[in-house]
Order: sequence, then structure tokens, then C-alpha cells
Amino acid sequence: MKSRAYADPYIAGVGIGLVLLAAYAVAGRGLGASGAFSTVVAAGTVAVRGHGAAASPAVAPYLSGGILHDWLVLELCGVALGGFLSAWLAGRFHFAVERGPHLGVRGRVAASVCGGVLMGIGAKFARGCTSGQALTGGALLSAGSWLFIAGCFATAYLLSPVARRLWR
Amino acid sequence: MTVEWAASVLGLAFGFCLERGGLAFAPKLAAQFYLTDLTVFKVMFSALLTAMLGAFWLDKLGLMDLSQVAMPETFVLPQLVGGALFGAGFLIAGLCPGTSCVAAASGRLDGVAAIAGILAGVAAFNSAYGWIAPFYASTARGAIGFPELLGMSHGLGVALVTAMALGGFWAAERIERSRA
Amino acid sequence: MRERRILAVAAAVLGLGAAAADLRPSADVRHLATEIEAEADHISALDLGARIRSGEPDLRVLDLRSEAEFTSFHIPGARNVSLTKLAAERLPRQGTTVLYSEGGTHAAQAWVLLRVQGYGNVFVLREGIYEWISRVFQPRLAVDASAAERTEFARAAELSRFFGGTPLAGVPRSEVPQGYWTGATPASAPLIEKIHRRGC
Repeated sequence: MKSRAYADPYIAGVGIGLVLLAAYAVAGRGLGASGAFSTVVAAGTVAVRGHGAAASPAVAPYLSGGILHDWLVLELCGVALGGFLSAWLAGRFHFAVERGPHLGVRGRVAASVCGGVLMGIGAKFARGCTSGQALTGGALLSAGSWLFIAGCFATAYLLSPVARRLWR
Repeated sequence: MTVEWAASVLGLAFGFCLERGGLAFAPKLAAQFYLTDLTVFKVMFSALLTAMLGAFWLDKLGLMDLSQVAMPETFVLPQLVGGALFGAGFLIAGLCPGTSCVAAASGRLDGVAAIAGILAGVAAFNSAYGWIAPFYASTARGAIGFPELLGMSHGLGVALVTAMALGGFWAAERIERSRA
Repeated sequence: MRERRILAVAAAVLGLGAAAADLRPSADVRHLATEIEAEADHISALDLGARIRSGEPDLRVLDLRSEAEFTSFHIPGARNVSLTKLAAERLPRQGTTVLYSEGGTHAAQAWVLLRVQGYGNVFVLREGIYEWISRVFQPRLAVDASAAERTEFARAAELSRFFGGTPLAGVPRSEVPQGYWTGATPASAPLIEKIHRRGC
């Protein structure tokens, strides 16, 4: 099945912006992603280590209400479903390990995991990620969100020569 | 209950648009940092611009109360450092937390690996929380916008971001064309 | 391509317009002056105490004193914020804001700052934290108090006990100016001085 071309990035962006605006208006908050990961880890920590772990200050804020009622978890489930629908409808759903031309599958998986670890830690310090801070906070002109944007993009651009082997 | 449904519906639209824009494909996201494909910048800042202008004007027209929208708190150093770490990770993985879910949902195993990594990173942060906590809570400034912090009106901040984004789009088009 | 141009133009117009839209502050200064003269900017400590006790939602009590003063004693439920921080914050538009400081000056100034930005339902505790202490937390009744004074004091004493304070009846008349509990001009200066020296 021939896959459809990607949409115009500006149009896709405006679409996301309207979704974000709807979130502000309907729920009084924006979108996010990394917070859901914190909730999952918190729930997992309690499941593995028992209720004693629930008192830990790192984990406690993410335990109220239960994982299936958490806004961000529910949102990310929607994100996955929406992503799947779009991919499937456009003929872009298939199992693959996307990577740069000179990287093998194992190297790519290792890089993904390592990159993920850095993002997980970074998102905790920053209280969010590209969705929660850069997009949501950025549109509200939050000072910290713009600091995050600056730190994130400056670092990535500065380090790009070092990571060349991964992508070029 | 309605708010919970809203989360999933909004998420669905979000994920759909992300995939439509090509943001499930890690090499495309990473190309951003080699200046060959600036889709990430265009999508992100179009979204930011739309939401920012929409929120500002709906609030001005009395159709929405912006002060009722939860504004993230500012922690100067942790967010700079967090941004830097996040940027490094974003470059290496080619995906962010949201797009890694979209990638995984499109069948991409690199997305699944990134998700696993993010979970591990969060867990690592949690176990080190004891000694991280002072830095984590440092340089708090409350929920403040950069216009207020710099002593300018909110509207001026909106205008500046708009100018920066539009200038960026123009530059992005030129850069991409010169690399084609 | 055409859609992009339209979007770009729309964004430019809305963005530039935003700067223009925020050029003028949105308050009528004369109106505010009238409010001040009519003392519509005040809330009494007893009313505040009653509203805090009733668990009124969206009631914000802001303490404009230093962190050290706040830590040593503050009105229950109050939040400590400096004038400069308050001027930069975006408060929710709904609900009620009550401001207090040590004597009342900073609170009154903060009242003006907030009202000029268009916030409504902003009130000031006229004599600051000392009004709270002398009227709610540690109300005193003179030995020779009139019946009217006793009734008012009883209301204050009940609130005081709720907040864990110490109402005290039977103190010398010199410590409680005549008419303190019956709404006559609160000649609270001697009382405030006494509290200050007590070091609350």
C-alpha cells in the first residue's frame, strides 16, 4: 500500500495549536506527556515495593487518584490511539526500527534507550517536556518554559556533530 | 468524568496531528538538528503561535479566562539544566515522550525503546531524589511569564514571540531550500 | 502555499495587535478614589475570621510582610508574598483577595496595584496583623465593659477559640479603649503598641 505524503507542517502545527487551545478552554490546563511517565513509574514502584514506598516524596505526588484517572495517562492513551489511526489510514503503519543509514538495529535500540533515560531525567528537573513545557507553557509565555526551550534546542544543536554517526 | 473523556479526545487529536506532520519518524525529527528538515520547528512553533494568539485574544474578548489556565511554575536552574539534558536525549533518541508514543503506536520499535528509556530515567531520578531535592526545588519564581519578569506587557511578549516565530519560519524555508 | 501566506498574515496581525492591546492599563482612577473614601476597600478582622472559618472557596489571604514575620505568626491560611512578586503574578479573576501587612500601608498600596490591573473583590485589613491579633486572636474585654461590649466581645471570643487564640475578659480598662467593641473609632494605637511590645 502506497503511503500518503505527510501533511503540511504548518497545518499540522495549527491543528495541534487548536487542540491545545481547546484544552485550555475546556480543562483549564494544557497538554503534556512526561508527567504520565512519572505516574506510571510511581504506580510501578508501589506495585513492586509495596505501600511503604508510597510515602517517598518523589513518588507521592503522582499517586493520588489512581493511574486510570490521571489526566496525562488518559491523554497519552489518546495520543497513541490517534497516532495509530493516522498511521494506519495513511498506510504508514508497519513494524520497523527507524534509524540513520549507518546504524544497526542494536545500536539504534541502545541509542533510543539512552536518549530516553536522559529525557526522563531532564523532564523531571524541568517539570515537563516538549509537550508540557515547550508547547503548553511556551504558549502561555511561562518564563521557565522558555528557559527549557532554550536549554533543549541549544544543547541539541551544540551536540549534533557528536551524534552525527547516529543519523547521517 | 467529562474531563477524563476530554483528555483522551484531546490526546487523540494531538497524536493524529503529530503523525500527520511526520513526527513519528525519528530520522525526520533528528534531521532538525542537521538543518536538512526543519519540520519539528515548524510544527512546534505553529502550534505554539496558534495556541498563544488564540488564548490571548479569547481572553481579551472575554470569551475565555486565561488566569484560570494552570501556568507552569518557573524554576530557573532546574529547568535550564533539565532542558539541556532533555535536548541531549532528544538528539540521541530522535523522539520525545509524546512522539515516542506516536512512533510506538505506528509500529516503530525505536519508539518502544525510547519509552522504556524514559521510564528508566524517571525511576533513576526518583531513587536519587534524596540528594537532588535541594537543587530540584531551587531558584523558584512562581508561576510567572517572561514578559512580567522582564517588566514588559503580556501583549508585547506575545508580539515578540510572534515576530520570532515568523522570522524563524522564513529562515527555515530558506535553509531547507539551500540544503535541497 | 496560499494557505501558508494567509496563516502568516493572520499571525502577524494578531501578534502585532497584541502589543497594541496591552498598551493602556484598564482602570478608572477616579472610581478607585471614590471606593477608598467610602471605605469600600476594608474588611474587618472579625468578618475575615468568620469567612475563613466558613471555609469560603476562592478566598485568598495575602500577607505582605517579610518571610521572618510571616513564619513567626500569620493569619491561618494566609500566603506570604512580597509587593513586587504580587505585582508580577496573575491572580485568578474569581473569588476574593484580602491583603494585610504589619500596619496596613503596604496592604493598602497593594490594593491599589491590584485594582488598577482590574482585579475585583480586593480588600484590606485596615490595621494589618495587629487588627487580627487584637480583635480575633487575643481579644480583651475590660472589667467594666458595657453589655453592648460584652456581646461583641463574645462573638470575637468564639472566633478566637476556633483559631486557637486566647480571649481574655477582666483586663484593666487602660488596656482596652472605651468603645473598642462597640464600633466607635478604634483608638487602637495604644493597644497595638502594647501588643507590639509583647512581641507576638
